Amino acid sequence: MNEASILLFIAIVFSVLVIYWISIAVSLVYRSNRTARLNKIELTFADVVSRYLYNDPANPITLREINTTLKNVGIKPENKNNIQFLIRLMIRTQRTILGSHFYKLQQLYTQIPPYGVSIKKISSWSWYRKARGIREIYEMNQSQYFDEIFKYRNDKNIYVRREAQIALVVFLGWESLRFLPYLKRNMTLWQQIKIVEKLYDLYPKPELKWLHRAYKTEKLFGKKLIMRIIRKYLLHGEIGYIIDNLNHEDYEVRETAIYCIQTFAVPSATMAYIKELYDDIPNATQQGQLLNYIFENSDIDLDFYMKQLYGKNEDLKLSVAEILWNNGHKEKVQEFYYQQYPKSVLNVG
Amino acid sequence: MRKVLVIQEDIVILKILERLVSLNEYECKAIRSLDSLSIEDQQTNFDFIITDILFEGIAPLQFVAQVQEVIPHKNLLVVTNMGQDKIKQEIFALRGVTGFYAVPIDLDEIEAIIQAY
Repeated sequence: MNEASILLFIAIVFSVLVIYWISIAVSLVYRSNRTARLNKIELTFADVVSRYLYNDPANPITLREINTTLKNVGIKPENKNNIQFLIRLMIRTQRTILGSHFYKLQQLYTQIPPYGVSIKKISSWSWYRKARGIREIYEMNQSQYFDEIFKYRNDKNIYVRREAQIALVVFLGWESLRFLPYLKRNMTLWQQIKIVEKLYDLYPKPELKWLHRAYKTEKLFGKKLIMRIIRKYLLHGEIGYIIDNLNHEDYEVRETAIYCIQTFAVPSATMAYIKELYDDIPNATQQGQLLNYIFENSDIDLDFYMKQLYGKNEDLKLSVAEILWNNGHKEKVQEFYYQQYPKSVLNVG
Repeated sequence: MRKVLVIQEDIVILKILERLVSLNEYECKAIRSLDSLSIEDQQTNFDFIITDILFEGIAPLQFVAQVQEVIPHKNLLVVTNMGQDKIKQEIFALRGVTGFYAVPIDLDEIEAIIQAY
């Protein structure tokens, strides 16, 4: 390698390093400016919201002033990142406030930017942007876009339809249950819990008319969702629906029914019916769970327990023996075990 | 004039509480952390301190104890994202805490307390 090629090599390496340093410097300056801009937007938004919620009669803030102020800090249609940041701030703020000021805040949100950014996301080909757009719309309660969202309730993408179904609950409340029989795709356990929690947070007063309409659903996830709603709202008058599903042919529906019935105490006539259903449950583990419920919520029914003691499943027999033994019927348990070994001799002393 | 100190890291909650307090005819000092507290502030006897408990580098209970020790005050209201029952019990066990409000907060409740004072 001669001198010229070494110099060339050094020049190339040096140029690469210079480019590298310049890109780092540009990145640092950009990040610093960006952070300053975001802080400014956050501060301005905080100021605007506080002045709107607590408007000083001596110096009132107008909507025009709010929009101009936001525009001056960079909330413009062409600055999509700034608008996205503002949306996050709006949602975050809305989550921190309750009561009359919450509604006042919602009123403000309908009158300030973000220039329909969320609804534009719904037309995106990306499922992530679509789901995010739906979420932003319902979080900010922009009910004018309800029709757009409604059509995604059966979307093939799980996240899109999940957000669309939650939007239905947010906008329609209990009435959204009337669409339950017509949902085509499966609803995960997580989604069911999210719907129940959202409904409970936003619409704490039950409207049974819509619940009864939802009873028509044949979908297994629909049945599970209804039972979870009955449990969450402690609808004692509706526990018949849960009881009817205790012996459902599907394992998960039975599992949900057993889980939900445990929240309720039932009268003795209903408990007698549950005991009848007990034998129809084809899974021993679930029978064991129901047995615990029966034991904890009713008096000792000797006939019922004796029938189970002489049943087929060994684990269940053990549970029943334990119940009888601890509740004043030791002799019945002893009799049951002695008669299994009629010819054995006691080997004691 | 009656004085209130608001300590909140979240700038939106800070500004809202500052505004709420000011419009109720209190003099308000609003800061995002204890670092911004001046020596004069530490000698002021505040009618209310409205504070968060979640700050970097210090445990929530320690923070409340520190505020109680360092800043003279008559009432201490906690407004925080950490609304778990256990935290609430432990905060009240410290004594001297007038109220505990977990986010989401109803601002009318805080306003009522301030107005009633």
